[in-house]
Amino acid sequence: MSDFTVKNDSVDVEQIMRQVRSRIREKRGVDYTEDEIRELASVKLERFLDPKGVRSDLLEQYRKRRDASTTPRNYSFEDTTLYESSRPLLRGLRKLLNPILKLFVNPTPVIDALHIQSKLNDSYNQAESLYYELIHNLVLETTRLGIEVKNLKMRVESMSSRLDFDERRARALEGVVQYRPGVVAPLQPPAGGGGGGVNATMSADEAERRSRRRRRRGRRRPGTGPSGERTGQPGGGHEAGRSDGGDASAPSGETGNGPAES
Amino acid sequence: MKLAVVVQRYGAEINGGAELHARYIAERLAKHAQVEVVTTCARDYVTWRNELDAGADSVNGLPVRRFPVRREREPLDFGRRSRRVFEEPHSLADELAWLDSEGPASPALIDYLARSAAAFDYVLLFSYRYYHAWHAARRLPGKAVLVPTAERDPAIGLAMFGPVFRNVRGIMYNSYEERAMIQGATHNEHVPGVVVGVGSDVPARTDPARFRRRHGITRPFAIYIGRIDANKGCGELFDYFQRYATTFPRGLDLVLVGKPIIPIPSHHRIHHLGFLPDEDKFDALAAADLLVMPSYFESLSMVALEAWALGRPVLANGRCDVLKGQCIRSNAGLYYESYEEFAETLYALESNGPLHARLGRNGREFFCRHYAWPVIEGKYLDMFRQLERGAAAAPAPEPMPGWFARRRRELPPAAEVLARLPSGAVTRAANARRDRPA
Repeated sequence: MSDFTVKNDSVDVEQIMRQVRSRIREKRGVDYTEDEIRELASVKLERFLDPKGVRSDLLEQYRKRRDASTTPRNYSFEDTTLYESSRPLLRGLRKLLNPILKLFVNPTPVIDALHIQSKLNDSYNQAESLYYELIHNLVLETTRLGIEVKNLKMRVESMSSRLDFDERRARALEGVVQYRPGVVAPLQPPAGGGGGGVNATMSADEAERRSRRRRRRGRRRPGTGPSGERTGQPGGGHEAGRSDGGDASAPSGETGNGPAES
Repeated sequence: MKLAVVVQRYGAEINGGAELHARYIAERLAKHAQVEVVTTCARDYVTWRNELDAGADSVNGLPVRRFPVRREREPLDFGRRSRRVFEEPHSLADELAWLDSEGPASPALIDYLARSAAAFDYVLLFSYRYYHAWHAARRLPGKAVLVPTAERDPAIGLAMFGPVFRNVRGIMYNSYEERAMIQGATHNEHVPGVVVGVGSDVPARTDPARFRRRHGITRPFAIYIGRIDANKGCGELFDYFQRYATTFPRGLDLVLVGKPIIPIPSHHRIHHLGFLPDEDKFDALAAADLLVMPSYFESLSMVALEAWALGRPVLANGRCDVLKGQCIRSNAGLYYESYEEFAETLYALESNGPLHARLGRNGREFFCRHYAWPVIEGKYLDMFRQLERGAAAAPAPEPMPGWFARRRRELPPAAEVLARLPSGAVTRAANARRDRPA
């Protein structure tokens, strides 16, 4: 977040706004304006369903529409359907006069078209249940994704603000802390490797005291304990004393990580 | 000097922007001239229903003359005509029909003004887009002084308003942005005009603690004062503020003062207090950390001026040229055009004490320099004096096109005209260039 320094009596709003925008650009990484981002998003989504446009009651509406629409029973249409009748005499008469009818109109294309339409109606009825399922799943997924995106966005914003805050805090602390050579010994990197470095900085008295303590622990716990089994060194000794937690129970001043934790 | 102040509605309880503006100006000018207010019997700006009695009345000691509105507005008809003139090629007759449909159509008011023209030195017409302003400007071109209160909406792109802006005696603009827009649309640079705005009766003493006690608000807060409406950008404000509140759990609260038109989200940091009397309103402003103005279209935000008068910075919607321009010229407010900018600027105002204090101080200075009542009154009186000196320069009114020409549908959609007009805030440099004496 912005941390503007007002150094003198005057402020320049335009300059502050320039700072705000440059900070936002830094955060975004790419110098896109809000409008450009919207345009990019619309280009990508234009052929797909707009997730924001999905109504939460879409399924309900769809179901209602299906229930409300009184779909007429489908018909079957064959080449004889046009001449059918429940009365055999009439049916026979129509068949007889069929050649005369064909002199005036050609019923064949009509019969073909209606036959195809009948088949199409059948396939549409079958597909509709599939569409329903598809929309159902899409709505569910879109809603789930929308919620997830919103949550993620909030988390990112929250983390970004915390990060900003931490950065500012770190900078502020760096400004406050001064290393004074005479008061606190500066941190030294290890001179050699592992324990050698520690030993090198340890005073002779301290080393003597430590080894005496370890010897006492060794006498108290002979090498039959769990630590001995773990290390595979019956009889304890130096290594057994370390691995059974002896150092962990030692005063914090003697352990490497004690002061840091305190 | 005798003045008529003509406005669509008038009353102590009417708080619409232009109407309040007219009342303040009428009451202040009454100290220097004899003022009569001429208005309609309407109280509601949507229907223009005749709710007040016609005839002579008095409001805060000023004589008011009310005239009935011929017919109420029919929203469907008005919507249909608006679509035609704003979005389609149309004719002048279509525009005149739109004006009639918009209302408040009061031929009696216009007749009265025409009859009594000799009795008035000048007629101050408020709000260019209404029936009364268009007809009165055409009937009294030698005496009409227009206070347009024009926002950046398509109405300014209608061809019928060109002659009005070109033929009046003088124009009292609300802002530099409004002037640039009107001059771009109507080419009326020759008409004497001055950027004035309006002052406000800000109390000398406020009591923020009383406000906090009365409304139980203990946390620091940003305040919005005005109609809580999508047109005022409140929907966007709610969206942005809720995101901000998630990011900053211990940040400012948002206090809303005004009549809600859209639903207010239920959020523990958003407090709606409804409509407040002036005393409470000023206490609230004084108690707030800052004022938020999310509106996209403003001719002049009086509440922003009041916030500045009380030393409170303003966070404005940068897509409103007027508000952005005022923030820049005053150096007393920040603005946003996206959520990121909203969050950054609100956080800066919330957390940076020195910045907040200096913006507030600048606001107070800006208000005193440009919007204190003596300054406003002085600008009006100077304009009248200037017009008096140039009495012979009254422009000849442009004739109305003939019957067939009025019906020829060859005028471009007003929205297209608006899109071509100059936009953006008028910066100090540009402003200085324009105001430099010849």
